Amino acid sequence: MSRNLLRLALKNIASRRTRSWLTILGVLIGVTAVVALISIGSGVQKAVVAQFEDIGYDVVLIVPRSGVAGFVGAAASMRAPGQFDPSQIMRRTTVAAGSSSGIDSALLLQQVPALLEAGNLTTRILPVESEAVGGFLRVTSPSASFLEAFSAILGGFVIEDGVGLSDPTSNEVVVGARSAQSLEVVVGDTILVGGERFAVVGVLATAGESTQENPLGALEATQASGDAGDVASLLLRGLSNTDDTLFVLEERAAGMSSNTGQFSTTVARVDIGASVSEAQAAIETALLEQGTPATAISVEEMADSIQGTLGMVEAVLASIAAVALIVGAVGLMNTMYTAVLERTREIGVLKAIGARDGQVLGLFVVDSGLMGLIGGALGVGAGSLFSLFGTDLVGSVLGVTRFAPVFSIPLILGTLAASFALGSLAGVWPAWRAARLHPVEALASE
Amino acid sequence: MPQLLDVYKTYRMGAVEVLALRGITVDIPDRHLTVVMGRSGSGKSTMLHLIGCLDTPTKGVVEHRGVNLGELTSRERAAFRAKEAGFVFQKFSLMPNLSARENVELPLLLRNSTRSEARAASESALVRVGLDDRMRHRPSKLSGGEQQRVAIARALINDPSLVLADEPTGNLDTATGASILALLRGLTDQEKTVILVTHDQGISELADLLVELQDGAVSKREATMRRVA
Repeated sequence: MSRNLLRLALKNIASRRTRSWLTILGVLIGVTAVVALISIGSGVQKAVVAQFEDIGYDVVLIVPRSGVAGFVGAAASMRAPGQFDPSQIMRRTTVAAGSSSGIDSALLLQQVPALLEAGNLTTRILPVESEAVGGFLRVTSPSASFLEAFSAILGGFVIEDGVGLSDPTSNEVVVGARSAQSLEVVVGDTILVGGERFAVVGVLATAGESTQENPLGALEATQASGDAGDVASLLLRGLSNTDDTLFVLEERAAGMSSNTGQFSTTVARVDIGASVSEAQAAIETALLEQGTPATAISVEEMADSIQGTLGMVEAVLASIAAVALIVGAVGLMNTMYTAVLERTREIGVLKAIGARDGQVLGLFVVDSGLMGLIGGALGVGAGSLFSLFGTDLVGSVLGVTRFAPVFSIPLILGTLAASFALGSLAGVWPAWRAARLHPVEALASE
Repeated sequence: MPQLLDVYKTYRMGAVEVLALRGITVDIPDRHLTVVMGRSGSGKSTMLHLIGCLDTPTKGVVEHRGVNLGELTSRERAAFRAKEAGFVFQKFSLMPNLSARENVELPLLLRNSTRSEARAASESALVRVGLDDRMRHRPSKLSGGEQQRVAIARALINDPSLVLADEPTGNLDTATGASILALLRGLTDQEKTVILVTHDQGISELADLLVELQDGAVSKREATMRRVA
């Protein structure tokens, strides 16, 4: 019987083609929004998790409590050599010197036995000049040991052309992908960094992070709010954005901080089997002893915090999309109600030839459910296309472009089931009215 | 045989009660053509609806083959209509979105027949009413007479004991109407009990039994042919 009902319902849908398609369109729009938002949201979450997994959940970021005050995170400012006056720009951006964290990572390793390795990383804004242009750029200087142990924090530090930093005794610089374009330099060229001559030994692969915002620049404001977790998250995002950055080994850059702000952080890895939270507490105690109050935040804490925020955003967006779906369902109900009014006499005939109330109810519910299902199936397709093509757009807005939307089987099957259920539900009331019609009264209808 | 014993039927139209049948008692002979005549509002369609289990009497008993139809549940009434009654209406009442064959198949599909069974039976029924070359046509592509033939084929598809026709020629020209009446008349030879409601005096000549209603009461009962005593 159900197959016969299905066939009859399909005939009914086909017989009122235009209205059916308009109704289906309403469901389609809702489902498209749900699928696109959830798949993009899941993609962002997955990308964030992957990023943290690359770094490792056993890693602890140590952020000095007074470290970033006055840090200048201005984006690159490039001018032709004749127009570039470092002293003038430096006056504008001069900040209190000595804002380095001052953390002695070697001492820290001795103080906290649970730590396996630790390294420092300092970021400065320095005048940089190539033959073509000059300006201020972000110069990040990891120690050689940091590069070896924590390159994941720098987005993997993937060299596309040339070699990496290895010799602390010579002036070598590795430039980010966009910095290389801005400075118009290639491997083998020489540039001035902080007034010293450096050889470009490598160019990094594109990190893919947005240039529309500067996560390090946001540190200042975030630091003021006092939330160390947010500071650490922003810092991680800023560090992984290598496109607009120059890299010089800390051993060579140590003397370049006299006139510009700088921000140093320390990264440590907890030994296998040791408790990360206990190590965090031990680090904070040790740093107090060093005279450098700092907050130690584990990557796991940051991941939880970011995932929580992303989850909330995803839930809000999905709720908005669900409203669109409900509007589609109301449209469906309206169509079914109109169909019952228009087909009252047909309902009477159905009853006259032996249809039971339940069969009439089933016919209209299946009719409505099928329209929901068709709208759902088309919506899944449209939502998938939308999220695939919309990824770049959303990525640029969120500042995360290296992700792909996630289309899970539960999402697709769940959406289809929900579309059919919602469609059927929307048809229940009109169908119930149809089933309750008295056959004689229905037959008398014009 | 269908029997109506002191049957009353009252309709409520808002605050007003309309007495459609006023204690009628009629025995309908099996396998004969009974014509029920009367003016508009005389209660003839109401009588047909009661016999066909589309409605229940307010008072009195409507029986068929010893079953009191008024005591049936909604589900049992639907089953009765599916198995025992085949309806033919004045306005044909075909599903506009289905072909002639699909319209005829419909009662079988509602009874859980397979598609192939329903198709074979509907094609056979359409051949019997002379529409073997119009099976795939939708009602809008058929003439009035053809549509009524489809309706008759649909009424017969479940092999019911009763064929109930409400003004079956009301929307047809005289010649087409005559062919439809001949078709209905012929059903009595197939062991069907045919009850035909009309206000057309000319049709009374075909009747084995003529019942005339006036204001909800039987005003005349006349066995017009040799087969009915």
